[in-house]
Amino acid sequence: MTPGSRQYLHPEAIARIARLELRARAVVEGVLAGLHKSPYKGQSVEFLQHREYVRGDDLRRVDWKVWGRQDRFYVKEFEEETNLRVTLLVDGSASMNYASGPLGKYDYAATLAASLAWLALSHGDAVGCSVFDDKIRASVPPRTKRSHLASVVEVLETPRAGRPTAFMPVLRSLAETLPRRGLVMVISDLLGDRDGVFQGMQLLRKRGHDLVLLHVMDDDELDFPFEGPTRFEGLELPDALACNPRSLRAGYLAAVEAFLADVRTRAAAVRCDYSLIRTGEPVDAALVKFLARRASMAV
Amino acid sequence: MPTFDFLPLLWWGLPFVAAPVIIHLINLLRHRKVPWAAMEFLLASQRKYRTQVLLKQLLLLLLRVAAVLGIVLALAQPRWKSALGRMLGGARTEHVVLLDDSYSMGDLSAEGRIGDTRCFDRGRLVVERICAELAAAQGQQEVAIGRFSAFDEKGSTAADRPAGTAVEAQAAQQGFDIRLQPVTPRLVQEVRDDLAGRSPSAAASGPRGAVAAAAGMLGGGTGAANVVWLISDFRLKDWKAADETAGLLRQLSDAGCEVRLVDCAAEGGNGRQPGNLTVERLEMAGGVPATGVLVPLEVAVRNNSDRPVRDVAVELREDALGRPGVRIAEIPAGGVGTQRFDVRFTKAGPHLVEATIPADAVADDNTRTMAVDVVDRVDVLLIDGDPSGGGRAGDAFYVATALAPGAGAPTGLRPRIEPPRSLTTLDLAPFDCIWLLDVERLDPPEVAALEAFARAGGGVVFFTGPRTKAEVVNRVLHRGGEGLFPVPLAGPVDLLPDAAGAAAAPDVVVEEHPVVAVLSGQRNPLLDAVRIERSMAVERGFEPASTSGLRRLLSLRSGGPLVVERPYGDGMVVAVLSTAAPTWNNWARGNPSWVVVMLELESHLARTRRRAESLEVGESVSVRLDAAVDEIEVDIAVPPDGTLVHQTAVALPAGGLEATLADTSVAGGYTARWRRLDGTERERLFAVNVAADEGELERIGRERLDRVLAGVAFKYDRAESLEPDTTTLAGVPLVKPLLYLLAAVLILEQLLAYSASYHAAARGKSAA
Repeated sequence: MTPGSRQYLHPEAIARIARLELRARAVVEGVLAGLHKSPYKGQSVEFLQHREYVRGDDLRRVDWKVWGRQDRFYVKEFEEETNLRVTLLVDGSASMNYASGPLGKYDYAATLAASLAWLALSHGDAVGCSVFDDKIRASVPPRTKRSHLASVVEVLETPRAGRPTAFMPVLRSLAETLPRRGLVMVISDLLGDRDGVFQGMQLLRKRGHDLVLLHVMDDDELDFPFEGPTRFEGLELPDALACNPRSLRAGYLAAVEAFLADVRTRAAAVRCDYSLIRTGEPVDAALVKFLARRASMAV
Repeated sequence: MPTFDFLPLLWWGLPFVAAPVIIHLINLLRHRKVPWAAMEFLLASQRKYRTQVLLKQLLLLLLRVAAVLGIVLALAQPRWKSALGRMLGGARTEHVVLLDDSYSMGDLSAEGRIGDTRCFDRGRLVVERICAELAAAQGQQEVAIGRFSAFDEKGSTAADRPAGTAVEAQAAQQGFDIRLQPVTPRLVQEVRDDLAGRSPSAAASGPRGAVAAAAGMLGGGTGAANVVWLISDFRLKDWKAADETAGLLRQLSDAGCEVRLVDCAAEGGNGRQPGNLTVERLEMAGGVPATGVLVPLEVAVRNNSDRPVRDVAVELREDALGRPGVRIAEIPAGGVGTQRFDVRFTKAGPHLVEATIPADAVADDNTRTMAVDVVDRVDVLLIDGDPSGGGRAGDAFYVATALAPGAGAPTGLRPRIEPPRSLTTLDLAPFDCIWLLDVERLDPPEVAALEAFARAGGGVVFFTGPRTKAEVVNRVLHRGGEGLFPVPLAGPVDLLPDAAGAAAAPDVVVEEHPVVAVLSGQRNPLLDAVRIERSMAVERGFEPASTSGLRRLLSLRSGGPLVVERPYGDGMVVAVLSTAAPTWNNWARGNPSWVVVMLELESHLARTRRRAESLEVGESVSVRLDAAVDEIEVDIAVPPDGTLVHQTAVALPAGGLEATLADTSVAGGYTARWRRLDGTERERLFAVNVAADEGELERIGRERLDRVLAGVAFKYDRAESLEPDTTTLAGVPLVKPLLYLLAAVLILEQLLAYSASYHAAARGKSAA
């Protein structure tokens, strides 16, 4: 990722891109330009084609014979062994509506999902996507066509009902309907039915799915920077609380810290790849960090 | 109790104390609304910190209320009143300040020695400070200031007057130097100027009159708080029998009036007062005030200390001219020392004799004056009962010879022998004494004239004898004790010879009496030679009333009375129960003691009239005039500088004219001069002296004062304790400590607000 891409991929910049598809493209291009290698290029004995070397390609893949003949750098590409089935599960509940900045949690999650879909499709993987709250509100099955991205985006842009979250029925339904093992990526703030999340993920795990949990939280939710008399009205819970926020900040942060620790522990218990993503962080940076960590886990 | 210089600001500012509460309530309505997803964490925190947050908020609210209250109080300029200042606070308060200006307030005693500050000076400072304090005090302060001496008469009038109406209270203000009025800085200056020119008076005024005047003035029921300040030296003589004063103070106290006693007397060093001598008496000790006659005078000096005093020099002045003084060898502690001296006046007319002792603690009682009206000759009227006159063997001859022996022994007396009827035809007033010598009978007009003369202070002497009828005397002159004659008579009796012989006992026995004091003591051969053959016996069984004042001068060997006296009105009546001529006795025949006793008797009887001319400071100088011979305009020269005060005589209800000078505030000689219708000038001198007992400086003491004023809620202070600076009296300003407190409250509020997270977080801290 170049400094220039960083500059233009701040959440504020992303938010100015109206269409989710274009957002995803902008993000992914930035990501590809900054990565040293493509984590989704699999290793295989079956040669596929030569491709002109671009910066970041693995030098071990340079075909030195061709360089000797033509004095130009080409790399060899091979056919992957399997097609990856990626299922993106995006939380569309009411709590995801919170926005302290230009991108709300849901917008951020949708951008992240679209970007991942673009990446997967660009590597020939099949990508499916569902938006849920207490049930799946919109869904598209996994496909490998590049044009499938439009379907994914369409699902992500489905109007939401502002309902609370109910993970367990959604994940159970997903486990029952996914025909093959694949990669299930849950993008959520995990507020609500926390037990249901991990019970459902346990279910998916038992079905052989690889699990990724992208925990999206707003900066406000993590830092609680409020001042002055404030009345907090629950987005999912019916409660409201009028208070001086700073007097409760310490207790709040302690509770959040305990929540995150619990989530990490439980995610590890179900062997789920867990990442906490702040909405204040640029989407591409969050994506790069996530992908880099995945790559390091694969090696 | 705090008071406020700007009380209205306090009342206007107090509603602002509610501002923090109102702002708090408004903020409850002005909460910013935030739709929030992570409510579960917020609720968890709220459950954990609810009590702590609530307490902090409550404390914060209280601190903010206290801060606003502190600002309002600071603007109102609070003061903390001292014990004195506290009482000066309040709405409308009437203060009556009574300053003792009796001459004992001129006491210079300090720490057991003679100092340079008088009690009066300390009292004056107290009055000034009270006024200055009142001017600085809150509320409407009104003050009236009076001196004890101004209420000697007027005070009693006010006390007798039933208080209750504002008009009466207004009338009761007469006599006050400063009448009740609001205290202003200008008034304070006026009081200061007025007091600066004042000194202790020569009066011996006690507190009764002044307290009565205060009671009369404050009895109007104006609804204001009342305070009576009694600033005095609290001498024992003023307070030991002050039941009436205590009663008045009790009334005031019961009516809610604050009674403040301020003691101006200096504390005695080691409990001792420096000695104070008082010239207690200066008077004639007999004799006749006539030109060329030696007149014996006696000066008496009282030692008002607890140590004897020796060799006291008494300086004498006669008509302002010095004359040889006398010395009193020793005056015992608390006692009186006397010394006689003779004066021979060469000119007829009024004379002033002055006796002065050296300066001591109190100056006013060191001098005493005596007025003597000297005449060329003093007329004595002898009423001879012998129609034939008796010649050289009659009673009148022997008495006249005794009173006026001749040019070689001038007595100043001029006997005038008249028949009984002259009692109604002569003006008896000019006569010193009237002697009735064996008068057979007196008509009622004559008796009436004689009784009037005696009642007015004249002296009357009766000699009995062969013509005296006991029955007539008892009926006309004694009248069962109502008349002039001192005893009822039984009739003449002979004194039988003593069985033991003539040398055994004298016929005459000397009793304790000043007239015969020169004959008392050891046996006197002159008196032993007196033989009484016959005398008039007193009625058997006569028992004089205990209040009659009957007193024996001489008695008979047989136990019967020979010479007796009894007061009658202002005068004195003496009865000699034997003859003047050597008819029934031989006393007048060549016995010098006869002359001595007759002259002493004459002086004794005339003393009352002469002593009546001595007045005390405060008493009126009154000149009786005769409309038939005197003009009514009288000029009175007032000491010390002889300032003339013009007085016009007014008619008395009882008849006659009288010119009166009421204000005799200075001791000394007051000379009244007026003209007679025939153009001649008349002059009369009055000696006005201080009351001698005021020189008694013994203090009543706090314990005894408490007993005297039992039931009176009073506060006792010494003058020194009322002499802090005005700021302290006005109350300690509380603004500065209040501002410190306010700063502390604000700092505490900031800390608590920070702790309670009501302050904006430091930049970037929230992102941590």
